[in-house]
Amino acid sequence: MTLIAPTRPDSPPLKQQNNRRQQTLTAIAIGGIFLLAIIVSPWILGDSGLGTMLPERNQPPSWGHPFGTDWLGRDMLRRSLHGLSLSLRVGLLAASVSALIGTGLGLVAGTVGGWVDAVIIWVIDVFFSLPHLVLLILIAFAVGGGTKGVIIAVALTHWTSLARVIRAEALQVSSADYVQLSRRLGKPSLWIARHHMVPHIVPQLLVGLILLFPHAILHEAALSFIGIGLSPHLPAIGIILAESMRHLSTGYWWLGVMPGLLLLLSVKAFDWLGENVRSLLDPKTSQG
Amino acid sequence: MKRDRLIRFFSALVMGLTITNCASTTAEQNTNNNAAENLPAQSGSAEQIVLAIGGESEEGYDPTLGWGRYGAPLFQSTLLKRDEDLNIVNDLATDYSISEDGKTWTVMIREDAVFSDGEPLTAADVAYTFNKAAESGGLTDVTQLESATAVDESTVELTLKQPQSTFVNRLITLGIVPEHAHGEDYARSPIGSGPYTLVQWDEGQQLIVEANPDYYGEAPGIERLVFLFVEEDGAFAAAKSGQAQVAAVPQSLAVQQIEGMTLRDVVSVDNRGLMFPYLPTNSKQTPDGDPIGNDVTADLAIRQAVNYAVDRQAMVDGILEGYGSPAYGPVSGLAWEEPKASIEDAQPEKAKEILSEDGWVDSDGDGIVEKDGMKAEFTILYKADDSIRQALALSTAEMLEPIGIQANVEGKSWDDIEPLMHSNVVVFGWGSHDQTEMYNLYHSQSAQGDYYNTGYYANSAIDSTLDLAMGAPSEAEAITYWKAAQWDGDQGVTTKGDAAWAWLVNLDHTYFVDDCLDVGQLQVEPHGHGWPITANIADWAWTCE
Repeated sequence: MTLIAPTRPDSPPLKQQNNRRQQTLTAIAIGGIFLLAIIVSPWILGDSGLGTMLPERNQPPSWGHPFGTDWLGRDMLRRSLHGLSLSLRVGLLAASVSALIGTGLGLVAGTVGGWVDAVIIWVIDVFFSLPHLVLLILIAFAVGGGTKGVIIAVALTHWTSLARVIRAEALQVSSADYVQLSRRLGKPSLWIARHHMVPHIVPQLLVGLILLFPHAILHEAALSFIGIGLSPHLPAIGIILAESMRHLSTGYWWLGVMPGLLLLLSVKAFDWLGENVRSLLDPKTSQG
Repeated sequence: MKRDRLIRFFSALVMGLTITNCASTTAEQNTNNNAAENLPAQSGSAEQIVLAIGGESEEGYDPTLGWGRYGAPLFQSTLLKRDEDLNIVNDLATDYSISEDGKTWTVMIREDAVFSDGEPLTAADVAYTFNKAAESGGLTDVTQLESATAVDESTVELTLKQPQSTFVNRLITLGIVPEHAHGEDYARSPIGSGPYTLVQWDEGQQLIVEANPDYYGEAPGIERLVFLFVEEDGAFAAAKSGQAQVAAVPQSLAVQQIEGMTLRDVVSVDNRGLMFPYLPTNSKQTPDGDPIGNDVTADLAIRQAVNYAVDRQAMVDGILEGYGSPAYGPVSGLAWEEPKASIEDAQPEKAKEILSEDGWVDSDGDGIVEKDGMKAEFTILYKADDSIRQALALSTAEMLEPIGIQANVEGKSWDDIEPLMHSNVVVFGWGSHDQTEMYNLYHSQSAQGDYYNTGYYANSAIDSTLDLAMGAPSEAEAITYWKAAQWDGDQGVTTKGDAAWAWLVNLDHTYFVDDCLDVGQLQVEPHGHGWPITANIADWAWTCE
């Protein structure tokens, strides 16, 4: 006897596939929830598992410890989440400050023009000409290191590309026909800024902000990897990765691989989020 | 350093690959292969062995400036030395005597010793070395020396300002330098009468030495030694790939297996403990203006409670992988340790009792005990790049939580710790064959704002016991006083007395040694600066063909 899968030729066609807008929205929701979950995880998990449990040291991943335990028996999943949450919060703060600086300077450069524009462009060029990581280390060191140093360094160095984009957008909009017309009609500058500029710049700003995150997070990880001022027992993602290096030769692979994967995933999630938000807001793709 | 950096760079690269590939086994092989490509594979022989045991002396190899202060100067020889059981035996000296008042030491030296440049070693060289060391005031600490004079070719007289029973340790550690060839660049190209002579030193990379053909003792069994200066995980990798025949590894790596090598764990007095500030907050300032004192740790009950609450054996098992022993005092395993000073630790109940009897109770229910409105809270500082100190600080904090003491842990560099180390608890490491160290750790006069007696511990009874020990005519007679200073049934610096420190563990030094290499019986080693394992290096032998 052969088994034949029951076929129902007369069954109705599958439910209409979600349209692309819905897909995009779903992607944004999933990415957002994933990242939000990481950010709030330390408050949900609390401090348990962060303490040393010497008898349970160096255990490979298991159901009890999905990411294994480290050389002091601390649960690596909790440490990684704590570290990543810190990174994301640093990223959030730094990216917001960067976006603020970038938008401010970009708008001023684009609307005022003249020598102000020249000066701002010059500052941006100076920032671009310096190696990014060196600048980060310098600033972090100068303000005394620690978490504060990392936040200030990351916040002060990521605004340049966004400022350029905003400036270009502002220049383009202010020379557009309808803006010129508004001016001729005697509309005040503020009115023009609010009704003509802002609607064009906000989407750019939002996407720029989201895409700043992965940069900020990776640089936070890089700074804490070098260990600027942070105590090496604190759970920061860079410190965790730096520590795992010492255990490479002993075969404790999970110490580096698992937190590394989590970092990769969250950076990717931001990238994904950014791309989807862009396609939703950009007039060229938003109706597709 | 170059090679080291390269290895680190490759490890970082491999790490990146691992994260994306999720393939750990290849990572391990890659690291090893990279290390192997950088170095031609060398196997040991009676002609040459490679030692990856760290301990590069950055300031060079001049004994008058501090080289060899923890024993075994290698290029130079000393008047006396300690054998594997730490008994004092003659080396350059043939005999020595101490005058009645303990101030004059007369040392007779052997006449067949020659420096590696062919010149004979005479009493004049010995006198020159001691005077020079006293003059330079380096880390060798011969400050008690008034003068050293050569009476004749083979007799030297050392006159002290005051009797000092520990002075014999200067005779054990101070390598004799040649008066005729001791100049500016001596530290970089030492000439001595020791078992080996320096051939080449590439700073930060390696040091090559060869057997001294003129050595008066038995000719060393290994012709040529190469000291490789790599970090601990680099030493492990070098041993694993067969490039090093002796490798010093951290205890956490000692549980690994290396084919063709055996793990030697050597008992040491290399100890780690918590130093408590002894005075109340801001009682005074150091000469540099740093604050001294801490109200919480100035309370005897707190210091004793910490001592009783910590589980030292758990630390030995968990952090040192069993390669160590619990420490209850500063001189574990040495002849002058007072065994009665030991306590039964891991007793949180007893610790709680001590606290509550003294008035430390948790009145507001936050899990931390208070007394007179002051919370039992302090900060433990540790050297940031030392993983063992980090682990000790963290697990101490963990063990103090149940008894209601809140210990915050912070890792910093020595530069950052220095201004804070008189007002916070610090994880320090000491350990020497020389009792002077104990004197310096506990005598009120040695608290001068540097690393000696950082807690400004001061007890006049202990001071006078230590002074008696120091002034005793010989080491043997001094031992009674050294023991009494630890605990005499009534007073002492250890837990039952003033509990000035909470000593935690003694580290074993762990080495992977090639199965073909016979390193003989190794002595109880001091704190890990320099090369304590080389104390008997002249007796090492290669046993394979």
